[in-house]
Amino acid sequence: MGGLEHATPGILLTLIIGVWILFSQLRRAERGHEHFIRRIPGIDAVEDAIGRCAEMGRSVVFTTALTDVGPVLYACLGVLHSVAKRSAAYKLKLVVPQYSPEAMAIVEDSVRDAYNDAGRGSSFDPQSIVFLSSEQFAFASGYMGLVHREKAGAAFLFGVFAAEALVLAEAGQQVGARQVAASVSPEQVAFFICTCDYTLIGEELFGASAYLSREPVQVATLAAQDRVKLMFAAIILIGVAQATAAMFFPGAAAWSIERFFTAGWESLSW
Amino acid sequence: MGEPLVVTKQPTDRRAQIIRVCTFLGGIYFFLYWLVPEKFVEAIGLTERHESISNGFIAVGAMAIGLGLFNLISAHGDRIVFRKQGWAYSLALLLGLFSMLIVTIAQWQQGLATTAEVRKSQVIGEFAQRIVEDSEKGASVPPLPVRVEALRRYTGERLAELDATTLAAGGSDGPFQDEVRSAASSVRLSLAGLSAVGGDALSPEGKQALIEVAKAGGKLGATESTLLRNRSAATTVHQLYRFLYDGVFNQLGAAMFALLGVYIAAAAYRAFRIRSVESALMMISALVVMMGQISLGQLISDQLPELRQWLLEVPNSAAFRAIRFGAAVAGLMLAVRMWLSIESKSFSSGKGQ
Repeated sequence: MGGLEHATPGILLTLIIGVWILFSQLRRAERGHEHFIRRIPGIDAVEDAIGRCAEMGRSVVFTTALTDVGPVLYACLGVLHSVAKRSAAYKLKLVVPQYSPEAMAIVEDSVRDAYNDAGRGSSFDPQSIVFLSSEQFAFASGYMGLVHREKAGAAFLFGVFAAEALVLAEAGQQVGARQVAASVSPEQVAFFICTCDYTLIGEELFGASAYLSREPVQVATLAAQDRVKLMFAAIILIGVAQATAAMFFPGAAAWSIERFFTAGWESLSW
Repeated sequence: MGEPLVVTKQPTDRRAQIIRVCTFLGGIYFFLYWLVPEKFVEAIGLTERHESISNGFIAVGAMAIGLGLFNLISAHGDRIVFRKQGWAYSLALLLGLFSMLIVTIAQWQQGLATTAEVRKSQVIGEFAQRIVEDSEKGASVPPLPVRVEALRRYTGERLAELDATTLAAGGSDGPFQDEVRSAASSVRLSLAGLSAVGGDALSPEGKQALIEVAKAGGKLGATESTLLRNRSAATTVHQLYRFLYDGVFNQLGAAMFALLGVYIAAAAYRAFRIRSVESALMMISALVVMMGQISLGQLISDQLPELRQWLLEVPNSAAFRAIRFGAAVAGLMLAVRMWLSIESKSFSSGKGQ
């Protein structure tokens, strides 16, 4: 199946079901239903790490690394908001080095809101949102220098990472910072597991914000994600069963899951 | 928990409302483009405009670069002015920033001037080609003799200008200059053949003469481009650009990348210490993959490369796909929420207060 420039009826139907699931979960939350979220030690460690910084009087560093404006950044902002709110409450210095100038404006807004929510709006320093560089390794060297100068007590690495992941994580390791990483880049997960105290893998990043805030909208989205994932798992199982059956009964090959998703509008015969 | 959920009914100020409307409108174009069948998109002529519209969105995003620049100057300028800790680093950063900015702008201007100069010669060939095409199509253009005369006059002027400027300058680019001179001579020769073009209709001989001019003009443009680019490469501006970008920036980036080798070794040492069943498994699989990669592994056992391949293609790929799949579904749900501005309190409670 190649890239799809335009929706096919099968994909559109799947999307509609996915969006319906999202809205039904939001509606349930609106009615007061409390969704269950399993315990994720890596997210619990966020609070511990900030507490440690408060005890040691060291600063907190939060980076979204190469994350550009998009859903992943939005997921990171949820965690950043929580980290910033706690840092503001404990009067800790929070530094948020930036790679993307587009993301920077949004990040600044989010941190400012967090300080306001903590009742310490006047303590917010816009210069704590530092633009380093839009070049991967220039950003990495800037981050290293910053973590060393600040002697960070905690470093949170959330978002999209590439080859610089290990450089960033090692910088925190060198100054003895408590590190929590979360990445949707599976190639970098192994590096984080080796270097950080806790690592959130893939979609746990999207769940972190809901876990920390327990806000109904975010928790309902998380519940919807799980249900959509179950739906896709069912589709995969049906596809496997159908492909297996087609090996033994060639007639079963006439209809396939792949065809359901790739057949264009012209295949509808009404 | 237990607090009333407000999905889209939060108290909002006008700014937040504008953001929501813009987000929705920006998203709906791409959603509709994706949603409607390809034939319909082609029928309304959107396919040709889609790239321009996409570029427009990118251009809007690119404006944010100014924000980054402003933040850098503000944060580091403040540190330098008030002699805060690490002000020397800030000074080095701003010096680097402005040096690179000035040199890049100068280099860009130089490139524009070179392109404009070369374009003057390229026009000769393109105009001759155009005359042939228009005559064959019967396009409503000025009469053929008028256009040919215009071509002859422009080419003569351009060749004289070339002799007086580009080819008059001395220097170490002799071979390149010779090529341009040779191309200019070819153009002059081909111009002589234009006498075959007579009357309002284009004869086969006239067409051939114009094609010769087109070819010679094209070659002149190409050789002049090589000469001028060679000259600009020798200018101080270009040398400075090469020094700053290739000599400093790229090398520093390479040095940072090289650090990875050391860090990987350090991280591997930490990870491979067998402290639990999981780390033992990781150690064993890493050992198999590493040994399977090198020829020594094959000497130990023929099965090692196969086992390595199996580890990478089966368990590893399965795990990678699971991570990507979960993240993609989560991203989709969040994207829908972003598009419809179904926001949680975290992102909007502070607005307008």
